[in-house]
Amino acid sequence: MSPFTCAREREVSDLLHRGHWPQACSEELRTHVGSCRTCSDLVLVTESLQESRRQTAQLPRLEPAGAIWWRAQLRRRNAAIDQMSRPILGAQIFALAMALLVIGALAIWQAGNWSAWLADLPGVLHLGALIPSSFPENGILWIIVPVLATIALLSGIVVYIASEKQ
Amino acid sequence: MSWESIIPNVLAGDAQSLAGSSPASAMDNEQFAAFYARSARSLWAYLARVSRDPSLADDLTQEAYVRFLCAHHPEDGEVAARRYLFKIATNLLRDHWRRPQSSSIDEVPEHIFAAKEPGTHSDSVAMLAPAMAQMRPRDRQLLWLAYAEGYSHHEIAQITGLASASIRLLLFRARRKMARLLRSGGEA
Repeated sequence: MSPFTCAREREVSDLLHRGHWPQACSEELRTHVGSCRTCSDLVLVTESLQESRRQTAQLPRLEPAGAIWWRAQLRRRNAAIDQMSRPILGAQIFALAMALLVIGALAIWQAGNWSAWLADLPGVLHLGALIPSSFPENGILWIIVPVLATIALLSGIVVYIASEKQ
Repeated sequence: MSWESIIPNVLAGDAQSLAGSSPASAMDNEQFAAFYARSARSLWAYLARVSRDPSLADDLTQEAYVRFLCAHHPEDGEVAARRYLFKIATNLLRDHWRRPQSSSIDEVPEHIFAAKEPGTHSDSVAMLAPAMAQMRPRDRQLLWLAYAEGYSHHEIAQITGLASASIRLLLFRARRKMARLLRSGGEA
């Protein structure tokens, strides 16, 4: 026998949990409990906690079961949507990577023509009409490039915010 | 185009088919309501007495049921479902204690319970609150599960995640300390 148990502990415990203690037990067992520290501790603690459980269980004002059911349904739906969104997000990332790859390949392939295209751009877009005549012709590129970069940056931000809202 | 138009089944509540076998298939709304009515008060009592914070017990009780419904719990009847629920609640409590607190749960005064317990019948029950306050949270958990809920050592091990072999010794020590506190009027 373990030094911290009594051979009759289980018997007393069963009686306590069935609600048979102390009425439905023998006088001999009651005498034993009175003299055994392990069993008397068991009875004292179990009776106190069971009574506390009965009293504490009367206290809460519980939320309706329907509200909890609804909240669980909502959470499961959101989890299911997240699960479905994952492959779509993967496809979007893949498409973006492929687009950047193609743009990069195109940029390398046409590396020699970029300066000529940029030089022709003001004429194609008739940007000359927007720029004062006093402005030197070579300086137009210094305006166009930052403007295009700003537009590209703002477009990226708009796309990001739109995707976040979605 | 919105998600609602793309995946109508998901938002129409057909998420079960997407997520595979679902816990809700084992328990419908009415079954859950009945299970909730039978188990919620004892779960709340466990959380309230162990945490010593009725407001926290309110929150954790709700969260435990929501997680219970979302999780894949064993379909071995109500006893197993109840045990699983207590396991979720125990994990929630542990998570709560691990989070940095603005104020310790030990600072919640016990008179919150005492004021609502007009029908305290015995001295030992009156002494329980100060005695519980002097126990460590883990000891409160073990004592409540073993003696208020009547779980076996094996079941307590499943609920708390502690080794089954150590439950007996931990419980013995906690019970001895609690009995001493109850006899001394809650003073260490």
